[in-house]
Amino acid sequence: MDITNLLIVYLFCLGFYCVITEKNLIKIAVGINIMEAAILLFLVSSASIPGASPPIINSEAISVIVDPIPHALSLTAIVIGAGTTGFLLSLIIRLYEHAGTVRLDNIKEMK
Amino acid sequence: MSATKIGAIVVIAIFAVIFVVTLGALPDVSDRIQASETASRVLEDGRKDTGARNLVSAVLFDYRGFDTLGEATVIFAAVAGVALAFSHEVLLLSKTGLSPLAKESMNILTPFIMVLGFYIIFHGHISPGGGFQGGVVLASWAILACLVYGVEVEEMVISTFAKMVVESIGIISFVLVAGIGVLRGVQFLSNLSAGYSAGMVGSIFSAGNIPYLNTAIGIKVGVGLAVLFVTMAKRDVGS
Repeated sequence: MDITNLLIVYLFCLGFYCVITEKNLIKIAVGINIMEAAILLFLVSSASIPGASPPIINSEAISVIVDPIPHALSLTAIVIGAGTTGFLLSLIIRLYEHAGTVRLDNIKEMK
Repeated sequence: MSATKIGAIVVIAIFAVIFVVTLGALPDVSDRIQASETASRVLEDGRKDTGARNLVSAVLFDYRGFDTLGEATVIFAAVAGVALAFSHEVLLLSKTGLSPLAKESMNILTPFIMVLGFYIIFHGHISPGGGFQGGVVLASWAILACLVYGVEVEEMVISTFAKMVVESIGIISFVLVAGIGVLRGVQFLSNLSAGYSAGMVGSIFSAGNIPYLNTAIGIKVGVGLAVLFVTMAKRDVGS
């Protein structure tokens, strides 16, 4: 069990705890993004070999190269994360205009 | 500490134990890459198959081109969603912008941001970077302009409608470049087998259709993220 994996688990659980317990919608959005960061760290660390070069071949002499596929996947994940976070925040802004608060417990009381 | 929080901590502790056990059971990284047929195939033949030096670009636009097209669609949907959520026009966030010093610095920075963005897009197949990364750099110009000059001025330079038209051009040209393969009798998104020239490895016009796809994605992502920010910044939440 190396330190990177522990960091991944810690970050993911931190974000998960945030999503479960927080009442503030903005903080929930932050929690989701922390979970996403943990997943990205997992993808990138799953491809990394200590001392290997990045997957860009500049010379014919091929040394140890990291696996490019998780890099491409995490690139996809980053872009989609940015898009969905933008949509999430825009929905929260609309809710704030409608309800005047971003706290879930206050919104529940309104009914 | 409330009962909810204790319950949450218990749930997460159980989850963390499962997580740690699972991660610990994964094979060692270098063993896994050697055992993985996909990884070794890409590492050995990637440059020959696509002519791209940057293997991440090769995976993104050649081996997994469909995935990238789908990803661009997700961005499109997110932008459309934000635009829908904020569909009516309202007061502008900042009418006057920041101080003259900030505006002057912004003027000096503008050409460098643009050159960096386009450099990253056009060199996506030979060096680190690509359409997504360069597009984000371009979008950062629009965000900076919104913050420094105010949304109104930024809107005057490039209107949101024009941005959306350019965004659509980006995604349509991706599909067109990819569709040439179908016209030539091979598969959608085919690269070298669709007649794109592999060129000299390391030059800008190499790696078949990857630079064109990179440019299309760069335009699409850059403008898309700019629309996302501008639409949100236009809101006057206090009203």
